[in-house]
Amino acid sequence: MDESKDVPKDFIKLKSEKLSVDEVSEMVVSPSCGAVSVFIGTTRNNFEGKKVIHLEYEAYTSMAESEIKKICRDVRQKWPSIKHIAVHHRLGVVPITEASVIIAVSSPHRAESLEAVTYCINTLKAFVPIWKKEIYEDEYSWKENKECFGANSEK
Amino acid sequence: QVSVLYFARSAELAGLRCETLRVPRQVTSLQLWEEIVRVHPRLAVIQDQVVFAVRQEYVLLGDQLLVLQPGDEVAIIPPISGG
Repeated sequence: MDESKDVPKDFIKLKSEKLSVDEVSEMVVSPSCGAVSVFIGTTRNNFEGKKVIHLEYEAYTSMAESEIKKICRDVRQKWPSIKHIAVHHRLGVVPITEASVIIAVSSPHRAESLEAVTYCINTLKAFVPIWKKEIYEDEYSWKENKECFGANSEK
Repeated sequence: QVSVLYFARSAELAGLRCETLRVPRQVTSLQLWEEIVRVHPRLAVIQDQVVFAVRQEYVLLGDQLLVLQPGDEVAIIPPISGG
């Protein structure tokens, strides 16, 4: 196998089409890795007794991509054995039960990729400028992550 | 002159997603916010929840002095909810 193809890579994508777990996990597969860990964020159909019809996501796209790149850089510093990282986030309308985010990480052994995936999703929720709007039957609501960095962080 | 970008609730309150604004070259982040609220008074209700992103770096509303160049991007960032 051409060794230059196995250089550690970050695969970051924000897109409005349906996300594919197969596609994202295949991106990070590597002959030197015995583990691929995957997180899938899906959309729930209820919030505080209200029925959620669908979600809508918007992003400050250029900054979201650069913040995700920073997360990847941090992951590689904390877990140097990590091989590939893929973060796909859906934008626009996301129907109930479909994936809004998929994160996949590969590493030689399982501990690092499991920890790195957890770190990625937690840090994404705190720092990446993406917003979710829940659409109910007769109203809507802009959500706020409790991890969110910003004015709330001082409270 | 800087580009101001509005997202999520701030875009709904301001009624637009993007505009150019003439601002002083040096200004604190709070002064910049006050200037923006002068143009879009409905934004005042989210003052306690927003931060800025200036040249794609987060900046809290406060005394931090910003040195702005023409064409810089300033974004209003309401509480985020990605993932």
